[in-house]
Amino acid sequence: MQTESYSERKPINRAKIMVVDDDPDLRQVLSLRLRANNYDTVSVCDGYSAIAMAQKEKPHLIILDLGLPAGDGFAVLKNLQDYPALSVIPVVVLTARDPEGNKRRTLESGAVAFFQKPADNGELLEAIRISLQIGGWRGLPS
Amino acid sequence: MNNGQAHVLLIEDNPGDADLVRLRLVESQSDVHVNCVTRLSDALASLEVETPSLVLLDLELPDSHGAETFRRIMRKAPNVPVVILSGHDDEALAIKAVHMGVQDYLIKGDITSKHLERALRYAVERQGLLRALEVTGKQQIELKNQFLSHVSHELRTPLTCIHQYITLLLDGLDGPMLPDQTDHLKTVLKSVNQLHAMIRDLLEASRADSGKLRIELRCIDIGGLVRQAIAMMRPTAAEKQVGLEAVLDPAIPLVFADPDRALEVLINLIDNGIKFTPPDGSVVVRVSLVETDPVAVYLSVTDSGCGIPQVSLPQVFERLYQDPNAVDGNRVGLGLGLYIAKEIVTLHGGRMWAVSEAGSGSTFSFTLPIYPLAKLLLPVITHKGRLREEIVLVRVELTPLSKSLRGSWKETCEQCLDLLGKCIYVDKDFVLPPLGSSGLVETFFIVASTDMRRVSIMLDRIRAQIGAVPRLKASGTLQVTAEIIPALPAADLRNLEQQIRGVADHVTEIIQRGLTSKQNLTEKENHKHAN
Repeated sequence: MQTESYSERKPINRAKIMVVDDDPDLRQVLSLRLRANNYDTVSVCDGYSAIAMAQKEKPHLIILDLGLPAGDGFAVLKNLQDYPALSVIPVVVLTARDPEGNKRRTLESGAVAFFQKPADNGELLEAIRISLQIGGWRGLPS
Repeated sequence: MNNGQAHVLLIEDNPGDADLVRLRLVESQSDVHVNCVTRLSDALASLEVETPSLVLLDLELPDSHGAETFRRIMRKAPNVPVVILSGHDDEALAIKAVHMGVQDYLIKGDITSKHLERALRYAVERQGLLRALEVTGKQQIELKNQFLSHVSHELRTPLTCIHQYITLLLDGLDGPMLPDQTDHLKTVLKSVNQLHAMIRDLLEASRADSGKLRIELRCIDIGGLVRQAIAMMRPTAAEKQVGLEAVLDPAIPLVFADPDRALEVLINLIDNGIKFTPPDGSVVVRVSLVETDPVAVYLSVTDSGCGIPQVSLPQVFERLYQDPNAVDGNRVGLGLGLYIAKEIVTLHGGRMWAVSEAGSGSTFSFTLPIYPLAKLLLPVITHKGRLREEIVLVRVELTPLSKSLRGSWKETCEQCLDLLGKCIYVDKDFVLPPLGSSGLVETFFIVASTDMRRVSIMLDRIRAQIGAVPRLKASGTLQVTAEIIPALPAADLRNLEQQIRGVADHVTEIIQRGLTSKQNLTEKENHKHAN
């Protein structure tokens, strides 16, 4: 894991990750962690904004909570599938909900990985790295 | 019997008694329908098609006697009130029946219509109350579980936030920290992890209560699993200067269990053992077979700690049990660990018990079922009562490109296993259940009795079918190999059973060797990860 400070200057051509979570503190700390690992981040707090922001920002990957206002995680997964341009974005689910029942359902709805909060940072970052590779992102290695 | 027509099933083989009771019934209330049968088998058949409001039952029938009669009726229709028609001479049995859930009994000679009417009405009322209680109880458990599930979800959210900020600081992302600060934060992280474990246990226990605990059975090499548990717990033991070792019987067959759950049980028992053992003491894990019990493997964890007083032994598996003598200042947790462990073992069809003497340590033992490989191989490796000259063991190995993607790798493997079932010759070949290991490399074995030419067709089919699974193409690689296992020469009927066991042992050995090498790889990886 890289340990450089997240305030470092931005290299160009980095993968962009969108964090969708209704908890502002968690959005912030996740973004800090991702930026420290050389990703660009945008974040939104609800299901409706998630789709709007995805269309505007075209992120390379989405980290998605399930319990959200204005369209929960499942609704977001479904809506993403409805737009060809968005349906190819890999989605990593990060939720406090129980894997039982939810895990299978999210994977069947198009997510590439499921993590229950609190997740191990190493595993989460590895899943993000691999998902970006599979998703065809050919930017700078993180 | 206040709403609508009463429907009474009268089970009585003496026509005189039957007529009398029927008469009294009709006298007691006008709107009653009586269905009279003379044999238990007829009664059971009748209960199959309709549910009466009450059963009136003579215990001595042509095809059933005594206690067995009401037991079978109550098993068939647990929610229908039963009133027994008893003679003077078997009143004791009737009283026993009441203890076991029968609503009431009537002495045949003493039945008056008034008496009968009251007995029947009360029987129906009481049964109704019991049902209502049962339903309320179930509703309350359901409400409690919903509550716990909600609470644990809500607790996880702030806990995640704490966890994230602590690891951010510990990883130096906010700049370097002083050694003391790092130490203190590590203590906070440890507490956060304890809280996390408690929330998990709470949810697990409530699942166990409502029978929602799930296990996924696999063939496992229990020796490998024990070694893994020991490797995981070694740091904890070393920190407390407690010795930790395994004593494994080399002839342990494959076990049919959920590897994650079995590991959880082992870790729990070892952790407890270490917790209650003073420095320089020891914890020993044993795996053995017991001659009198050919279907189970026996596992035990023995510590040299303070032991458990005889009076407390029956309580240790109860939820929320806390050892009153836990003196070393360790936080004891919620007291759900052993309760969950026992539930997990019970779910596997195993048993769990503890033996201890105050002052001289405790032994916690449990059993897990043996995977009956020899029995399952029988139809595949025999042909017309003789052992086949050879069988083929096909190994299908799925390796993920990376050790992450835990999220979907398991599902990918499940999908491949489903497809595997479609690649074999159903009556000739046999797909073993998935092998358990905590590693991510998934190995499936097929025991095949088809000849080599057809095996090669099977291999091609497997490569084409499974190789085409999109998720596997994206995240892993496939390797298919086959190995011929020759049977012993001169196969004949006399020692067939012995020979099948020989082949099963041979297959088991190959599988275990495969699992062990994989295990070592996983341990190495874990080790690498830990550094």
